[in-house]
Order: sequence, then structure tokens, then C-alpha cells
Amino acid sequence: MDLSILLSILCAIAWGVQSIFIKKAMRHIPLFTAILITLIINFLVLIFLIGIGVGKGFSEFYHVPGSIFFYFILAGILNYFLGRSLYYSSFRFIGVTQSTSISSVYPIISVFFAITVLGEKLVLHQWIGIGLTLSGVYLLMLKGKR
Amino acid sequence: MSRWRGQMEAILSSLCFGFAPIFAKKGLMSGLNPFYGATIANGSALVIMIFFLFLSGHQSRWGSTKQYSLFFVILSGICNSIALVSFFWAMSIGKVALVVPITCIYPLFTMSVAYFSMKESETIDRFTVIGTFLIVIGVILTI
Repeated sequence: MDLSILLSILCAIAWGVQSIFIKKAMRHIPLFTAILITLIINFLVLIFLIGIGVGKGFSEFYHVPGSIFFYFILAGILNYFLGRSLYYSSFRFIGVTQSTSISSVYPIISVFFAITVLGEKLVLHQWIGIGLTLSGVYLLMLKGKR
Repeated sequence: MSRWRGQMEAILSSLCFGFAPIFAKKGLMSGLNPFYGATIANGSALVIMIFFLFLSGHQSRWGSTKQYSLFFVILSGICNSIALVSFFWAMSIGKVALVVPITCIYPLFTMSVAYFSMKESETIDRFTVIGTFLIVIGVILTI
């Protein structure tokens, strides 16, 4: 099997399982402490990888323009701070499966942005995909009501 | 009420996860190695989280942390890092059209592991199974 496919499956497994570990941990650890620890581990791994030669070393950070820094800071606030806080916080109120499935619809947001801001047109299978995704979210929202 | 709050938080998190790549993509258009972008994004979130914890007084609750929970948080952080690194590695050697849809199947793994390891707290009913499959298939078709 192609290495990229294996790595993609590994990514899906790791990302799928991490939420289970967080849910188990959150019984006896404050939410934001849990997020802080995961952020520290992520950061250390990234720094380690750059340290061992992925990319052009730490000096490359000095050559990153301010505007590019700004874009990544915004991405970091949205993804790692706000997104992760809301995602993990939802585990306290609903099941981890329900929460993970609902929060996984984020590609639809990008598609919505592409249609409304960039004026892109969707093909039939993408419309079907949006319909299926929204139906899935609706079903998960119904869960527990009956 | 709490169920509704959880659902709203999950929807809002998907909005945040959806808008973040738009800014990341703008940053990556400069040709910067994605690992540097991820480090800047992660580092800035880390700094903000530290400030937030100390300004809000949340650090005073650290005493209530149990080793059992700490162990699982560290496992989660390691899994997070594995996901991050394997995603970028796969993207650098494979086709985006193949890598992204495969990584989107992660809710199926969450559901499977939750079914076997969290029977006491997770209810995996037909709504969950059908809803999760519809979302995964829908997202794969959309991207």
C-alpha cells in the first residue's frame, strides 16, 4: 500500500482516538488545563522536528514576513484555541461520538466560503455531499430527544 | 439545556475548524514549509492559553488534577501530534485528493473506540451510527 495512504489512515486513527482519551481524562482535570497540556505536547513535537532537520532550521522563523505570521496566528487562535476549547468543552454535555461527528463537518464551512466569497460553483456530487452531511448533523441533533 | 449547549459548542467548533484553514492557506501561499506554519499557529495558541489561564484564575484548579487524568491527557497530546505529523507527511508525498478524504473518516474511529471502551458513558444508537456515516460520506463527497 502507498505510504501516503498508510499515513492518512494513521492520522485518522490518531485524531479519532485522541478525543476518547480527552473524554476519559476530563473527569478529573480542568478543561483548559487539558487543552494547555495537549498544546504543549504538540508544540514540543513540532520544535523537535524542526530541530532535527525538517525544514531549514530555527533561523527560518526570522525570514517569515509579519503578514504571514499574522495569518498563522489567526489560524492558531481559531483552530487550536477557540476550536479546540469548544470541541473539548462539548464533551461535558454530549457524547464524544456525537460531538466529534458534528464538529467534523468543517469542510462544509470552507465550501460555503468558496461559494459566497469566491463565487465558486459546485458540481452535483458536492451538493449531494452537503445534503448528506446536513442530514447526518440533523440525525445527531435528534439523538437523545426521543 | 446542557445537551443543546453541547451541540452548539460542537457546531461552533466546526465553524472555527472551518475558518482556520482559510487563513492557514493564505499563509502557506507564501511557500512556507507547513511545519513552520503549524508551529507558529500552535505556539501562538499556547501563549494565549497560558495568558488566559492565569488571567482567569483557572490555574488555581491544577491541584484537583489526578494522575489518571494526566496520563490520558498526555496520551491525547501524543495522538494529536501523531495526527498532525502524519497528515503533513502524507500531504508532502501523496495526492491531496486522496489524503484529505481518508483523514476525514476519523469520526468512524471515534465511534468504534467509544463503543468498545466507553460503554458506560456513550450511547451508540442508530441515530449516532447513521448520522456519523452520513456526515463522513457527505464530507468526502464535498471535498
